[in-house]
This record gives sequence, structure tokens and C-alpha cells, in this order.
Amino acid sequence: MATGWPEKDDQELLALIQEGSHQAFAELVQRHTERFYRLAYRYVQNRETAEDLVQDAFLRLWENPASWRPDRNSKFTTWFYRIVVNLCLDWQKKKRPMPLDEDMPLADERESADEAMIRIQEQRLLEKEIAALPERQRTALNLCFDQGLSNQEAAETMGVNLKALQSLIMRAKTTLRERMKAYL
Amino acid sequence: MSDKQDEKLDALLRARRVEPTSRDLAQRIILKAQSLPQNQTLPLMQWLRQLFAEFHLPKPAYVVVSALVLGIIVGFSTPDRTASKDEDSTSVQSFLDADEVPL
Repeated sequence: MATGWPEKDDQELLALIQEGSHQAFAELVQRHTERFYRLAYRYVQNRETAEDLVQDAFLRLWENPASWRPDRNSKFTTWFYRIVVNLCLDWQKKKRPMPLDEDMPLADERESADEAMIRIQEQRLLEKEIAALPERQRTALNLCFDQGLSNQEAAETMGVNLKALQSLIMRAKTTLRERMKAYL
Repeated sequence: MSDKQDEKLDALLRARRVEPTSRDLAQRIILKAQSLPQNQTLPLMQWLRQLFAEFHLPKPAYVVVSALVLGIIVGFSTPDRTASKDEDSTSVQSFLDADEVPL
């Protein structure tokens, strides 16, 4: 659905959403659904659940548009990343982590069978080890490596300073290097 | 820890796979929102801020008004100690005298 408001920035759309504009909401959802889905997927490793969580986050925004405070929240995406991460963490606390689907085609289909097997093992192990990291280290990795946020943006999203974020990433990578020695 | 290992780990982290989302996810969210009413209740602080914004008072005015309100509160809550001891005793005496008037 073309909403026709690509020229409006997120803050302008949010102001319109606060006035009840469905069109502004549609534009915002179309603009950002994919990136927040990717983030949610990192936590839950399941498409349906990740989609449900992203839907839940957007619908909460629609139902409570006053939760967005332009004077307090510098950037919509920074603020909304935090909402999605919190929903994912809440979900994880309530449910047991889902094991990776054994049939899930993790490898690139163009690889040879051996390469594909190794790649699959690497990816499974990586996901398993990332899932075992402390919550904040995991979030730092997800924001910096998967969402492509700068360290500064990721630090703002997590509500920590830059040095703390760098330290979280360093500790996470040290742990992963240690646990994935055989594959590196 | 070698640089090569670092690079490989970084590459692995960047190549993590994500299952593609359903094509209609955004549409589903938009359609669902159309059936939901908005809750326009503002948080107290935001409501107050908007209320004050209506009056467009400069900051010094808030200080003056706050000082006045504080003064009134302090004034009312402080017991009146201006009356002298003599006056107190006179009024007590006249009260007792009034009691002695024959019926």
C-alpha cells in the first residue's frame, strides 16, 4: 500500500499518529517493519514469533501514541529498538528458548555439500553461543552487527555510554572466540 | 588471539541468517491498527506541560507564582503569635468575669 508520505521524517509521522492518522502509521510501519523484524528474529529465532512481537510493538505505539515523547526521545528508531528488545526479552523470560529448527536451511544453496555442512554447523554453534551470552552482551552484538547501527547509536539505544558498549562487545567476542575455537 | 580469527568471527557475525518475513507483515499490522482505538490519555507530566504551554508564561512568572503560593501556605500554617502576653491574660480575665455575672 503506497502511503505517499516518503518525504515526511519519522518525527513528523509520529506527530500525525498522535493526531490519529492511519496514513502516517501505515507509512511508519512500511518504513521500519523489516529492520525491527530482523532484530526480533535474532532473539527468538522463529519467524512467526518475531512477526508477532513486531506487530505487538507497533500496535502498542498505535494504541498509546503519547508514549512517544519528542522532547525526550531523540530518534524514533533508537527508542523503538529499545521497545522491541524489551518485548523480546520479556518473551524469552516467559518461554523457554526455542531450539534451532533442524530442517532450517541455514547455508547458501550454491555451496558444495561439505562446505554447506560446515557452514550450517558454524551457524548453529554461533547462534547457540550467542543465545548463551549475557543479555546485554547479546543485545550489543545484535544492534551493532546485525542492525548495522554505529556504536554510538547502539549505546544510545541501550542507555549506556560508548565505552560500556565497546566493553560489552569486546567481552562478547572474547567469549565467542573461545567457544568457537574449532571453527575459527 | 589472531587477527584472522577476529576477522572470521566478524564475518560470521555479519553473515547470520534471518528467515525472510512474510510479505504481508506490514499490511497485517496496518489493518489490525485500523480496528483499534487510540488511547489518548496523556501522562500527568505531559498533560501539565501542555496545560502550562497554553498560558505561555515566561519562566520568571512561574517563580513569582510559586513564591506567592508558598508564602500563602506558610502564612496559613504558622500559628498567630503577634498578640502580646498581656492581651492574652486580659482576654482570659474578661472571659472568667463574664462567667461570674449573676444569672
